Amino acid sequence: MAEEKKTTAKGKARAKRVEEKDKVKAGKPESTGGAPVGAVMVVGGGVGGIQASLELANLGYKVYLVDSSPSIGGVMGMLDKTFPTNECSMCILSPKMVEVASNINIEVITLADVLSVEGEPGDMRVRLRIRPRYVDIDKCTGCGDCTAKCPVKIPDPYNAGLDMTRCIRVPFPQAVPGAAVIEGEVCRYINKGKCGNCVKVCQAGAIDFEQKEKEEIYSVGMVIASPGYKPFDASRKTEYGYGVYDNVVTSLEFERILGANGPTQGHVVRPSDGREVKKLAFVQCVGSRDVTVGNGYCSSVCCMYATKQALIAKEHLSSIEPTIFFIDMRAYGKDFEKYYVNAEAKFGVRYVRGLVSGIRERQRTKNLLLRYADEDGCTREEEFDLVVLSIGLEAPCGLKEGLGVEVNGYGFAEADSFLPVLSSKPGVLVCGAAQEPKDIPDTVTQATAAAGMASQALHGARNTLLTRREHPPERDVSGEEPRVGAIICRCGSNIGGFVDVPAVVEYARGLPGVVFAEERLYACSQDAQEWIRQVVDEHKLNRLVVASCTPRTHQPLFRETLQSAGVNKYLFEMANIREHCSWVHMKEPENATRKAQYLVKMAVEKARRLEPLAEGESEVIPRGLVIGGGVAGMNAALNLARSGFQVYLVEKEGELGGLARNIRFNRDGADVQEYLRGLVEAVEREELITVFKGHRVVDVSGFVGQFKTLVRDGEGRETLLEHGAVIVATGGGQYQPAEYRYGEDGHVLTQWELEERIAEKDGSLKEAKRVVMIQCVGSREEERPYCSKVCCTEAVKNALALKELSPSTEVFVLYRDIRTYGFREDLYREAREAGVVFVRFDDDARPEVREVAGALQVRVPDANLGNETVVLNADLVVLSVGVTANPDNAELAPMLKVPRNAEGFFLEAHMKLRPVDFATDGVFVCGLAHAPKSIEESVAQAAAAAARAESVLCKDRIVTEGVVAVVDAERCSGCRICVELCPFEAITYDADRRVAVVNPSLCKGCGTCTAACTAGASRLQGFRSDQIFEQIEAAASAWWD
Amino acid sequence: MAEESATRNEDDIRILAFLCNWCSYAGADLAGVSRLQYPAKVLDVRVMCTGTISPYFVIKAFQEGMDGVLIAGCHIGDCHYLKGNYMTAKRFQVLREALKFLGIEEGRLRLEWVSAAEGEKYAEVIRSFTEEIEKLGPSPLRRKRAEVGA
Amino acid sequence: MSDLKDLVREKLKDGVDAFLCLKDEEGTLLPALITDADSPELELVEAGGARYPMGKILIDLLREYPGKRFAVLVRGCDERALVELSKLEQVDLDRLVMVGLACTAEEARACGCTRPYPSEIALGEKAEAAPGRETIEEVEALSEAERLRWWKEQFSRCIKCYGCRNVCPMCFCKDCALENPHLVEPGVIPPEFPSFHVIRALDMTGRCVDCGLCEEACPADIPLRSLYRKMQEIMEEKLGYRAGESPDEKSPLSFLGSEQDIEKLEREQ
Repeated sequence: MAEEKKTTAKGKARAKRVEEKDKVKAGKPESTGGAPVGAVMVVGGGVGGIQASLELANLGYKVYLVDSSPSIGGVMGMLDKTFPTNECSMCILSPKMVEVASNINIEVITLADVLSVEGEPGDMRVRLRIRPRYVDIDKCTGCGDCTAKCPVKIPDPYNAGLDMTRCIRVPFPQAVPGAAVIEGEVCRYINKGKCGNCVKVCQAGAIDFEQKEKEEIYSVGMVIASPGYKPFDASRKTEYGYGVYDNVVTSLEFERILGANGPTQGHVVRPSDGREVKKLAFVQCVGSRDVTVGNGYCSSVCCMYATKQALIAKEHLSSIEPTIFFIDMRAYGKDFEKYYVNAEAKFGVRYVRGLVSGIRERQRTKNLLLRYADEDGCTREEEFDLVVLSIGLEAPCGLKEGLGVEVNGYGFAEADSFLPVLSSKPGVLVCGAAQEPKDIPDTVTQATAAAGMASQALHGARNTLLTRREHPPERDVSGEEPRVGAIICRCGSNIGGFVDVPAVVEYARGLPGVVFAEERLYACSQDAQEWIRQVVDEHKLNRLVVASCTPRTHQPLFRETLQSAGVNKYLFEMANIREHCSWVHMKEPENATRKAQYLVKMAVEKARRLEPLAEGESEVIPRGLVIGGGVAGMNAALNLARSGFQVYLVEKEGELGGLARNIRFNRDGADVQEYLRGLVEAVEREELITVFKGHRVVDVSGFVGQFKTLVRDGEGRETLLEHGAVIVATGGGQYQPAEYRYGEDGHVLTQWELEERIAEKDGSLKEAKRVVMIQCVGSREEERPYCSKVCCTEAVKNALALKELSPSTEVFVLYRDIRTYGFREDLYREAREAGVVFVRFDDDARPEVREVAGALQVRVPDANLGNETVVLNADLVVLSVGVTANPDNAELAPMLKVPRNAEGFFLEAHMKLRPVDFATDGVFVCGLAHAPKSIEESVAQAAAAAARAESVLCKDRIVTEGVVAVVDAERCSGCRICVELCPFEAITYDADRRVAVVNPSLCKGCGTCTAACTAGASRLQGFRSDQIFEQIEAAASAWWD
Repeated sequence: MAEESATRNEDDIRILAFLCNWCSYAGADLAGVSRLQYPAKVLDVRVMCTGTISPYFVIKAFQEGMDGVLIAGCHIGDCHYLKGNYMTAKRFQVLREALKFLGIEEGRLRLEWVSAAEGEKYAEVIRSFTEEIEKLGPSPLRRKRAEVGA
Repeated sequence: MSDLKDLVREKLKDGVDAFLCLKDEEGTLLPALITDADSPELELVEAGGARYPMGKILIDLLREYPGKRFAVLVRGCDERALVELSKLEQVDLDRLVMVGLACTAEEARACGCTRPYPSEIALGEKAEAAPGRETIEEVEALSEAERLRWWKEQFSRCIKCYGCRNVCPMCFCKDCALENPHLVEPGVIPPEFPSFHVIRALDMTGRCVDCGLCEEACPADIPLRSLYRKMQEIMEEKLGYRAGESPDEKSPLSFLGSEQDIEKLEREQ
C-alpha cells in the first residue's frame, strides 16, 4: 500500500488488480472457513449496477463493477429524458458515473463477461472473461486524436446505429472509463496488419495491440447481478416492417433522435429524408404482452416512455402530432397518471386504444400506413411520417449460464415472493430489469436493497478490504503570502495544437502571486503528479492552478496530488482551457491563446484568495429509528438489526402488522399471513430491536447522525430516543367507499373482504352465480388523481381464486385499464382463459349498482360496444378500493422537516435516483408512506431504506465537504431569509445569539443562501463573493493586458 | 504581448458567463468534447448553482466593463440542489427590468437553461449572444482605457 | 377623534411600557419615549409635523429592552415599514401597539404618498393618495441611451453621504454592501455607475415601503424614490408582491416557492 500512495487513481486501480490476482493465485488462505470476504462483485454497469456499487463502497466494501461493454452507463446513459419529470437523463446519471470513476474502492472492469460463479455467501469466486480493449486505459486521456485519424467507419452503438463513428473512439463523451476502445473485428491493423494511424497520432502511447482476451478469477463475498435487459428485436414482428421501412424506428432509436447529444441534435426528423416529422405514431406492446413471440409479460415501462417521447417530441417541435396506439394505458407508478392525463389534456398527445396489426410503406413518400382495429372493432388505416415501435424488455443473457441463477419461463431471474432481490442461488442477488422489467426508480430501489442484503451477509468483514488514502500532515500556510504555482497542460495536441502554450506559461509567470509556471504534455499523467509534488515542495507553493481540462472530472485527481504534497486540497483552482477553449476555438488559435491566458488569470486571482478549508466531522449515534410497524417498517428494522445495528421500532397501534393483516395471499399464492407471523416473530425475537407498541412520535430534533425523538404512549408516558437515522414507514390506508351501495348492502364487498372469504373457503361463494368486480373505486378520480397500482392485480388474483374455488361462478371485472404490469400480466391472461369476463368502461360513464327486486344489479356502459349498457345481475359486487395516504403523515412531516405531495404521500428527494431518500439527510422512506405499492415492492423498498440508513450508521463520523456555507455571526441580523431559502433545512436560527447557523453536516454547498444575504453574512466557502469579484475583475481587466 | 495588443480591436466585445457546475458547465464541456465551435469572446465563471449568483455579481460585471453577462443553469426541475434555480429565475426578472429602466440594454443580460446534454444548445447560446452583443456594440459603461491605468 | 395625549395616557395605563412619539424640543420635533402617564412631557407631544424612521428606531428599542411593550404613533409608511420589518424578523409586532395617524391631505400631496394612512386610524382624517409617477414616466419616455445618460447625470451629484441609507427604516444590515470595496470603491466621489445606487435599489426590491425619507434626506436631490418605486412596480408586476401590505405574505425573493410559480413566471416573460 505504501507504494500506492504515490500513484494516481488510475495507477492505483491497476496496482490493485494485480494484487487481487496474486491473492487468488496464492489460493487466498484466509478465505477457507474464516471471516467473509469484504468485497462484492457487481455485474452490469447500468444505473442499477452504478447505484449498488456506490452504496456498497459507502457501506465499507471493496467493489468490482463489471460491464460487458466498454463503458458503464447502460441504457439510462442513452436516454434523453426520464419520466414523469422529463428530467435530463445524462445530467443525473453522469455525476454518479464520475463518482464511480473517482472512488478508489470501486474497480471498473469493462468488456468483461461472467463465465462462472462458485462458492458460498461470504466466499464466492467469479471467473471473468475480459476482452481486449487494445487501449491502455491508464495511459489514454480520451483526447480523441485517434478517432480523427481512424479510417474505419462503423455504426455508432451509442446512437443506436443511427449514425457513424470510427473503429477507435471513446464510447460517448461522459464514458467511464473515459478511454478509447478499438473494435477488434473491424480494425484494419488487427485484421490486415495495415494502418496503425492511431498508434502514430497517440502522443500518450496508449494503443496496445498486444492485448489478448484473458480469463481472471476474482474472490468476493457476494455477487450482485444487475445486467439489465435486452431490447426486443423489432424485426421479429415482421408485420411492422422494422429494418425494411426507413421510417419505422424503435423507441431506443427514437430516444437518440430526441437526444440533444444524439445524431440529429434533438431535431425530430425522418431517417429516410431528414424531413421534419409532423404525424408521429407510437405502436405499443411490440414484443410485450405477446405470446406469439414468447413474451406474455408486460414490459412495464413502455406506456410511460412513449408518453414521455411524445411530449418531448412536441417540446422540440410543437407542430408534431403524436398518436399513441395502445391496449391498456399502464400509468401505475407514482405521479404517472397525472403525467398521462396532462399529456392528453394539456399537450395534445392523442391516445388511440387499438392494436396495430400491420404497417405498409408508401413507396414515393416513404410515409407509413398503419392498420389498426379501433375501439368499435372496425379496421382503419392512417398515414404517418414516422412510426416508433415501443419495444419491450427481454431477459438479458448470462443469468443462467454465467451467474448460475434459476430463471423463469421468460428467462428473467427467479425471485423470492417477498424479497425479489433474492435469487435462487445463495450469494447471488439480482436487481433491476433482469429480475422483471422495471423503471429507473424501482431499479435503483432494488439495487440499494441488494447492496443492503449483501452487507447483511458480509458486515463482519466491513471495511476490511477498503483502501484509505493517507496523506502527510497539512502544512500551515496561514500568514504566508500566496505563492501560486501554475501548471499549463498541453494535453498532447488537444490544447497545444490550438493554444500557444509557451505564451500562456509566459503570461502566467507575470501574474501577481505566481512564483512558478511550467507546461506539461499531460498534467494528469502519473509521472506528472509526482512532478507536481516535487514542484510544490521545492517552490514552497501554497496555491496550485492547473490549466487543462474540466474540473468536473479532473479536480479530484489534482486535489489529491496537492493533498499528498502536504497542502490543503482546497487551495486549488482549475482553468478549463480544453473543453471551454482549445476545442471550441480550433479555427482561431490567436484568440484561443488569449482566452486561455485570461482563464488562467481568473483562476490565479481566485486562487490567491483561497483559504484552507476544513472538512467537518460530526459523531454518529449508531442506532436507527423506524416509524411504523407494518411490513415495510418491520423489514427495515430487521434488515438494520441483521447488519448489526440497534433499532427502535415505533408502532402507534397495540400490534405489529399494519395493513398486511388484511391480505391473505400473494399474487403467486404465497401465504401472506404466514409470512407476517414469521416477520413479527423475528422482530420480537431480535435482540437488537426495541419495539414501542402503542407509541406515537411527538417530537423530533437534531440532524443526521444525532437525532433525538420523543415518543409517547397512550397514557402519556414519554421516552426520549437518540439515534443516527430515521426510516419513515408509516404505511397507508384504504379508501372507504360510499358509492356502489357499499355499507348499505351486505353483498357489496371490498377485495379484502372477498379475499377473507376465499381464504376461509366461505361456502356462500360457491353458491354465488355471478360476481361483479368494479375497478378504480377511489382511484384515478378528481380527489385522488393517482392510480393505486395494486387493485388490478388484486382483482385478477381474486377472480382466479374464485374461479378455482367455484368454476361455475361467473366473474366479471369492470375496468378502465387493466394495469397488470410485469409478470402480473400472466394472471390477467390466465383469468381470461379461465373465463373471467372483462368489461371496459370510460371514465365519464361509470357503472351503477342498483337494487332491483331485492337483488343487486350492475349496469355498465361497455366502452368497447359504443357505450351500450350491459346489465348484470350480481350475487356479489366486489369493489377494488384504492390506497390512500396515512393522515398521520401531515403531523409527522413538519417534525422531520420533510415534504409530502398533494395526495399526502411523502415526497422523496429525487424521483429517479433517490427514491428512498429525503432531501433532509438521515431520513428515509419506504412502503405505502411513499406511494401505493405491492407487498414485495414495499419489502424491497424497506431493504433499500435500511441500506441507506446503514450507510449513515456504519460510519463513526460524518465527514462534511469543505465547500459549505457559513454564517458570519458578527454580520448576521437574524432576518432568517437564509433559513427559509435553504433547500436542505441546513440552516437554523439560534434565538439566543439572534443569528442563523449553518449545520455543515446538512449543507450541500449550493450557495442559494448567500445571494439572498444583503449583509454578506452568509458565505459559500470556496466560492466567496470576494473571490468571484476577483474573477470578474480579472476577466474584465484581461482585455487590457 | 505588445505586438498582439496592437492588433486587438478596441471594439472587441467581451462576455462573462456564470455557469452552474452540474448542468451548464457540463453542457459547455460537452460542447467542447463535441468540438462545436463558437466565438472566443466569452469567459466563464463556474459556480455550484445559479442560486448563488447574487445580483451584485452582475452589477459588478457591468461596472467592470463587460459587454454582456450570461447566466446559465439547470432547467427548472433539474436543479442539482432541487430549487436553487428558482431563485435565479426570480432574481433575473427583477434585475433585467431594473437594467432596462436604467438604460442598460436588456439584451446585455441573458438567462438560459442549458442541461448537461445540451452541448449544441450551449454553443448556439454563445453564438447568438455574441452576435447580439456585437450588434449592441461595446457597453456604454465601459471605462476608458486610460482610467484603468492600462 | 381622540386627542394624542389621551391616547398616550390610555396606552400606558393599558400596560404598555413606553410610548414612542414626537415631542417638541425647543421648536424641533424629535422622537421621544414617554413612560409615565402623568409626565409633564405629555404636554409637548405632537401628532404630525416631522417624520422619522420609526421602524428603525423600534428595531433598537425592542432589542435594548427585551420583554418591554411599546406603543408607537404610526403613519401609513411607518406601519408598512413595521409590517415588513416584522417579516424580516427585525421587530416583534406582538410587543407593539400601533396607534394610527392619517397624514393630512397637504402632507399626502407634498409627499406623493401611495397610501397616506395606516390600516386603523386613531388620529386624523383619511386623505386621498397622491402617488406621483411623473419622474418614472419621464424616464420611461426616453430612449435607452438617454435614460442611461439621465441616470448617470442624476447619480453624478451623489456625494456619498449615505444619508439615504442612514435614514431608511428598512436598512438594518450590520455590514453594508455600499461599504464593500469590491462594489463601491472607497474614496471615489461620485461613486461609479451603476454600483452604489443600483446595488441599493436591488436590495430594496420587495423591501422598500415607499416612505420617501431617502429622497427627503438626499442633499443632492437624486430622484431615489422614483427609482425604488419603479423597483416595487417591477416586483409587483413580475412576482406579485408589494412590501409592507399583507402581514401574512412574504417577498418571493425570500422563499423558494413551487415549480408551478416559476413555470408561470417563465411563461409570462
